[in-house]
Amino acid sequence: MGNNPALRWALMAFTGLFIAYLYGPFVVLTIISFQAGPEGGPQFPIIEWSVYWYKHIFGLTPPSRIAPLPIGEAMVRSLTLAFATMVTSTVLGTLTAQAFRRRFKGSGFVFYLVVLGMIVPGVLVGLGIALVANNLGIPRAWWGTSFVAHVVYTFPFAFLVMLAIFNRFDKSVEEAAWSLGVSPMTTFRRITFPLIFPGVLSAMLFAFTLSYDEFPRTLFAAGADLTLPLAIYGTFSVEIHPNIFAFGVLTTLFSFGILTVYGVLMGMTVRRAKKMAIQEDIA
Amino acid sequence: MTNSSDIAKEEDRRTKRITLALLTPGTLWMLLFLIVPMLMMVYVSFWTQTTFTIVPTLTLKSWITFFSSDTYFGALLTTGRIWLTVLFLTIIIGYPVALFIGLFIKNKTIQTVVLVLCVIPFWTSFLIRVLAWRPMLGKEGAVNIVLEKIGLITHPIEMLLFTEFSVVIGMTQIYVVFMVGPIAFMLARIDQSLIEAARDLGANTWRIFRTIILPLSMPGVVVGAIFVSVMVLGEFATSGALSGRKVNLLGNIIVTQVGSLKWAFAAVVGVILTAVMAVVVAGLLRIVDLRKEL
Repeated sequence: MGNNPALRWALMAFTGLFIAYLYGPFVVLTIISFQAGPEGGPQFPIIEWSVYWYKHIFGLTPPSRIAPLPIGEAMVRSLTLAFATMVTSTVLGTLTAQAFRRRFKGSGFVFYLVVLGMIVPGVLVGLGIALVANNLGIPRAWWGTSFVAHVVYTFPFAFLVMLAIFNRFDKSVEEAAWSLGVSPMTTFRRITFPLIFPGVLSAMLFAFTLSYDEFPRTLFAAGADLTLPLAIYGTFSVEIHPNIFAFGVLTTLFSFGILTVYGVLMGMTVRRAKKMAIQEDIA
Repeated sequence: MTNSSDIAKEEDRRTKRITLALLTPGTLWMLLFLIVPMLMMVYVSFWTQTTFTIVPTLTLKSWITFFSSDTYFGALLTTGRIWLTVLFLTIIIGYPVALFIGLFIKNKTIQTVVLVLCVIPFWTSFLIRVLAWRPMLGKEGAVNIVLEKIGLITHPIEMLLFTEFSVVIGMTQIYVVFMVGPIAFMLARIDQSLIEAARDLGANTWRIFRTIILPLSMPGVVVGAIFVSVMVLGEFATSGALSGRKVNLLGNIIVTQVGSLKWAFAAVVGVILTAVMAVVVAGLLRIVDLRKEL
């Protein structure tokens, strides 16, 4: 199958078109973000190339009829929320996956219960939580109702990542440490944690990015103070200006930054693991 | 003898206690913040709706409104139609790409690079990605400009944006990667010697595809279909932003109803959406036994 040259070229061309389809909107978005301001709209043709809309985001342009994006506080809230979600879901995911290292009754039930969190559409989770909160008289807030809704979504991802890590984990290393009289705490710090660290890092990355960009769950569960996606959604109904595209370019660069940090940390652990393996070989 | 069995029993009890302690926080979280809210939604769907509030007097009124109104029942049909269209397109577009990535690229590094290339667009905020389709498909949008430049059309096509077409195109672009990933994963696991053996025995490319590659990649298609289905069925942002409010999915109805404080009615639509999803996922799971295959 892999040796059929005509098929190979056809599929390669198709994949090329596919990549163009995936990137098309982003390319257009980047071009439009350099539209002249404040008179230029979010469409072609480009009147004049400028960085007006980037300055507009940071409030560096003279006041005009176009209000600045209401993102400052929303961004702080979203980052805080993403951080809290990341910590909570990674802890929950690690604990639950740790329990799954032994067989126990009802494991099927717990497994599907957790995985359900990533399957149920966000709009339904948001609606359900809003209904419960309203009925109990709990005010909805990004740090309360939204936070629990986010963890419902990200905890399953953390759980599955940690489950995969524990499946590949050689238990005898831990047992060897225990039988040599090393305390459970030290064993966890020196043996278990370094082994599961890449998994923890991936789970954290998943949880953070999913929560940071989470929209449908937050819509009904956030209350008056908006998170970043809600602030962006607010500009939907009103007129759209190129500043939102400029902001899109900036957030994409920000994501690149986070992923680079992840890549560097991951690379460091891999290198350290390799170094330790070499030392063991010498010994 | 009794002593050692006592110790074993004690050890067993201790293990059980630890397992229980480890499971409690996660299970409790899901029960309290996922199951209880979903049950609450079912319960509230039978409440009585007054102008600005809901009271817990049980009634079927909201349910009757849903099924007797063309607008709301129509939303159910529209949701079904958009879901099937997007699912079909993601398979048709995603499968060949996955085939190329999983089977034709032999070098693991290049394979990873191409997959990462497919994921990079996800680093842009979801809502902004949706909005980017407007300057793409609009009357003076990129697609019309390109088509005019190469002489395929003389007048810009106006029906590209704010129609069902733009909703389908947008959703397909956003969700197709969830189809490519699982299929490519399954295809990359296929033992190459199996394919070579088939060829040595005289099977042509089509036969190899039909009897080896397609069946072995089916779990990937099913997983991808589940991902795409649950996401498309729960959609409202893409249809809201790209249809100019002309395409109303069940999700859009929920959002407008909550906006006007019609919680009971929103709950009805929510329950219907849950039922549709359950049927779809259960149907897909019948095609292959995932627990056996993965």
